[in-house]
Amino acid sequence: MSIGILGYGVYIPRYRINRAEYIKAWGQFAAAGIEEKAVPGFDEDSVTMAVEASLNALNHAKVDSKKLNAIYFASTSSPYCEKLVSSTIAMALGAPPRVSVADYTSSTMAATSALLLSLDFVASGRGHFALVVASDCPYADPSEFLEHPLGAGAAAFVVGEGTPIATIEASECTAIEALGERFRKDGEKIIETLGIPPYTQAVIVNTVTSSVKALLDKTGRKPSDFNFVVLPQFDGGLPSGIARKIGFEETQFVPSMIVSQVGDAGAASPLIGLAKVLDEAKPGHKVLVASYGAGAGSDAVSVSINEEIMKRKGTVPSVKDYLAKKKYIDYIYYLKIKKMI
Amino acid sequence: MAHVSIPSYWKTLPQRYCLIGMQCKNCGTINFPAREICISCKQKSEFEPTKLSGRGKIYSYTVIAAGSAPPEFSEQEKLAGSFPVAIVELEEGVRTVAQITDYEPEDLKIGAEVEAVFRRIYEEDKVIRYGLKFRPVKERKSPL
Repeated sequence: MSIGILGYGVYIPRYRINRAEYIKAWGQFAAAGIEEKAVPGFDEDSVTMAVEASLNALNHAKVDSKKLNAIYFASTSSPYCEKLVSSTIAMALGAPPRVSVADYTSSTMAATSALLLSLDFVASGRGHFALVVASDCPYADPSEFLEHPLGAGAAAFVVGEGTPIATIEASECTAIEALGERFRKDGEKIIETLGIPPYTQAVIVNTVTSSVKALLDKTGRKPSDFNFVVLPQFDGGLPSGIARKIGFEETQFVPSMIVSQVGDAGAASPLIGLAKVLDEAKPGHKVLVASYGAGAGSDAVSVSINEEIMKRKGTVPSVKDYLAKKKYIDYIYYLKIKKMI
Repeated sequence: MAHVSIPSYWKTLPQRYCLIGMQCKNCGTINFPAREICISCKQKSEFEPTKLSGRGKIYSYTVIAAGSAPPEFSEQEKLAGSFPVAIVELEEGVRTVAQITDYEPEDLKIGAEVEAVFRRIYEEDKVIRYGLKFRPVKERKSPL
């Protein structure tokens, strides 16, 4: 018996809007490397997406929701600024009332923070099973370029005692104060930026490089020791910029890329990217996941894949399955179901 | 649908969020929603909470179109368009009324297989009412 990731699951809503629709509406699509993006339906939000991803993860882990001791929700787009939605998720999953809940919000780094805290929760003996679910559909002003890449999706991980499909080996975190890139003021629904792309890019690259390098030092590994790396995907160009700075190759980060079809899924992106890699990974593979939260912080997490993963392949819908299930919508319908008009 | 107060909604959350039915300890019939008197044996029995699978078939349906939506669903009708409401017969034999979501017009058929999904039902006084809808099943069963 050891502690690690017992299972995972994702959810991506079925609606898609593509580049051509934005070009028709605005004359351009200001989202590098994104062909189409996922859109939550009128009756969906970060909570409903979280529930489906969580059910997939529990099935994959073969853990009954009644055994959960912790449920952690991570998002930048919780429908409530105050009111726990991890409690909503707990009841929808049929979890027992005696469960530790927390909503990790206000950062696209929230999912990796919650994942590491769930590991601490189990390792410290506070409970046997924790569910971390990251689900996000960020909003911005539709007349701003910042809105163009914003997509939607969710990923959930069950961390606990048993025979893990993957083990979290080590992690490093970085916090470097930064301002004016992505932010959302108190009482606002939409994210904003002061729109200085070279500055934003430099802050992200430096912060992520700092946490990744610290992890490489700690583990005594080189970038090439990892089979896969999951890098922040706010657009399709950013991962290659970060990879170049640290020394990762395209073959290491491309398998984790979901932004071209899902868009920027905020806090959920790092875990959907990890899920996509785990869908394809083999025992013995090493994965490095790096998240980024504006303001700024970054977690770098090293994950090692175990034999058990082979027994679970195909038991729940994969990232590819959800990417294949889609219905294209036009820009006006997009604005309507996102309740932006 | 008539207005449902927050306290009434709250009392029925297990049935609304995760399909908890009440099984009569006297005759074994699943009552969904919960009742004081069993629908089958008509006894004031004791009941055991039991989770329903969420798998079922469309028993009958109608489409709510412009102007005919109850006030709490008028925003949905206005922004997302007309929507189907079905009587769904669950595999445990009970029938329930719910919206059909994530569908194509050809999916709306009596007898069509559906599965439960957790969705926003409506919002009233700024409070989001979550609950279950059903969506057509094409290749696989719902995790619910």
